[in-house]
Amino acid sequence: VKNGRKSADSRSIRTISSSHMDDESSLGSDSEINGFTNDRHTDKYGFIGGAQQYSEESAQDVPPEVLRQREVKWLDMLSNWDKWMVKRHKKVRLRCQKGIPPSLRGRAWLYLSGGKVKREQNRGKFEELDSQAGDPKELDVIEKDLHRQFPFHEMFVSRGGHGQQDLFRVLKAYTLYRPEEGYCQAQAPIAAVLLMHMPAEDAFWGLVQICEKYLPGYYSAGLEAIQLDGEILYALTRRVSPLVYRHLEKHKMEPILYMTEWFMCAFSRTLPWASVLRVWDMFLCDGVKIIFRVGLVLLKCMLGTREKLKACQGQYETMELLRAIEPRYMQEGFLVREVLEVPVSERDVEREHHVQLKRWRKNRGELHCKSPPRMHGARAIMASEPPSRQDLRQNPTIIVESPLPPPQPTPQLKKGEKSKEEKSKKKGSMKKAPTVMEIPNPYPLAGDPQRDPQLPLRDPQLPLRDPQLPLRDPQLPLRDPQLPLRDPMPTLRNSTVQQPLVNDTPLPNTPEDSPPPHQPTLNDQSLLTVSPLQKSTQSLSSIEADQDTYL
Amino acid sequence: MAKQYDVLFRLLLLGDSGVGKTCLLCRFTDNEFHPSHISTIGVDFKMKTLEIDGIKVRIQIWDTAGQERYQTITKQYYRRAQGIFLVYDITSERSFQHIMKWASDVDEYAPDNIQRILIGNKSDEEEKRQVATGQGNKLAKDYGMDFFETSASTNYNITESFTRLAEQVLAANKKDLDLLRASVTDELNLAALEEEEGITDGAAASQKGCWC
Repeated sequence: VKNGRKSADSRSIRTISSSHMDDESSLGSDSEINGFTNDRHTDKYGFIGGAQQYSEESAQDVPPEVLRQREVKWLDMLSNWDKWMVKRHKKVRLRCQKGIPPSLRGRAWLYLSGGKVKREQNRGKFEELDSQAGDPKELDVIEKDLHRQFPFHEMFVSRGGHGQQDLFRVLKAYTLYRPEEGYCQAQAPIAAVLLMHMPAEDAFWGLVQICEKYLPGYYSAGLEAIQLDGEILYALTRRVSPLVYRHLEKHKMEPILYMTEWFMCAFSRTLPWASVLRVWDMFLCDGVKIIFRVGLVLLKCMLGTREKLKACQGQYETMELLRAIEPRYMQEGFLVREVLEVPVSERDVEREHHVQLKRWRKNRGELHCKSPPRMHGARAIMASEPPSRQDLRQNPTIIVESPLPPPQPTPQLKKGEKSKEEKSKKKGSMKKAPTVMEIPNPYPLAGDPQRDPQLPLRDPQLPLRDPQLPLRDPQLPLRDPQLPLRDPMPTLRNSTVQQPLVNDTPLPNTPEDSPPPHQPTLNDQSLLTVSPLQKSTQSLSSIEADQDTYL
Repeated sequence: MAKQYDVLFRLLLLGDSGVGKTCLLCRFTDNEFHPSHISTIGVDFKMKTLEIDGIKVRIQIWDTAGQERYQTITKQYYRRAQGIFLVYDITSERSFQHIMKWASDVDEYAPDNIQRILIGNKSDEEEKRQVATGQGNKLAKDYGMDFFETSASTNYNITESFTRLAEQVLAANKKDLDLLRASVTDELNLAALEEEEGITDGAAASQKGCWC
């Protein structure tokens, strides 16, 4: 009843930037039930207030043309994920560093984290966990946290709203999945960030991957892993910024004082939202070293000069400073550049881990909680759990018929076909694809002379609104007919629901006769045929029963 | 420059997750109440200066995450405190039952002369009450603590309870305090007695806003 209604931050709700994104706010979202109907501006991330909201100072906008190009590149990577990860991993990393296009971020995160593979290999698991009751003690703690995650995000602002419901389902499912681990409070913000980008089942597997691969032990009883990482951060500070190290040492600033929330929430509560997203793009690609580097950058920026230290003589003054980081140091572009320059590699983290673990054992005995080894990023995760081609397949929720007639001969349409974009850039294993027929864009942008060669894709589950998108309804995704068929495996199981959007042309493959996993011959030209079907997808509620994914 | 304070000490807020520790603190230090706030992860603190019997008392109040597993972290701060708030939520029987566990942890990890006070928060939510005022009173009496029912939302008994604990801490350190009265220039840093930390005046600290 009270939550949000008399928001203490109402002032900032009214005065947020008059950005052109504001009018993209969705109608009928939960936040309206909660008293924010009037005078409410939703930023492009879904925030209606609070310190993490979009501001021109904190974010750098990417020109629409660049965004379109990136979307095309990411679509190509996602449809050939295994090859890209194995053969052109550096390029994947570079693109993560540049920022994943918002429309594809959720899907990219799920692929990077290995959540996609986990989900495919455990079909039905989430549903099963979701239907179980859960331990009342855990549920009690979870329930108390539901309204305390991103209360200024439209998805989570309403008590009992869909965001909080999904958060409950995801967190509860985790306690059932790992009863020995149970719920840890810092998992809630992690799950909430994921839920802003993907449906509950996907967010669950994303959470599983973060808890078990990226940050193993962080959320386990005893919280040993986070304390150990505090020591590692401290040791790395000594190397990266001796001045800061000496200051922290002098004032007995234990790392857990300032880094617990930073690390356990992967900075999702600390940085302006544009920066959170960029940090997560890099974190999910490269692992925990990114978190260490962000921590080191913030420490160095806030405490790195003698003048700053002079004005900050004491433990409490230091802590105050670290709790109120100057916006310019958290600005998206600045932060990413700085993070990329911190000379801390995976090996440095591992080496320091080894040293600190030894110290820990000497001073405090064996660790009580045996966590699985930490995986440093997407490639390591993929290597540890090799996916089949089937696991990486993208399954559209709904396939929409193209307004255009299909190309005449539609012979061997097979799985695993390639996209046509980027053909000029492909090299090595990525063979050239045939030229794509030029197809007029049925949804031209306002200022478009004729057609936009690369209209963006919308990720239907994405709660964010892209200002460049011509569609008003944020739930309605758009597929550019020029983009090739992403998934030759139509999953039209509940096609009746989607009439008249559904193309009911018989399709060559059904899920039952899918080909064997991943053959290296998939680059064969014959497989690169343009699809006869120009597909489009449409968002369905994540609750929709047998829709297992989205495109 | 005039002295910022005469005495500096630390208080600690303990209690189950969701009982309202952060909101009590925000109400006390900034006189604000945020219905939309986030859960506390790790430890946090705020400062406030009170005047008690003509003595300027600067208190650092440490706020802690309530979930049990965070205790491995928060326990490290028990021993540095001079006073502790044990907080439960009058609408949660479970949070009240857990007070015994919190109290025994304090006995185990906090200094001997630590001052304690029992707080039953959310007194404005009378219709959801699960713990009678009498139960709170009785428990407090059994433990030899003072007891307040409070509401951060309506600002009921907030200053009273914080001031009471501060007075108790002052009384418990009367000897040091008398020494202070004898000298005019020095300030008394109770917080620094246990550990030689270079705590200087917190003028900069007091000007910042609320973190919750």
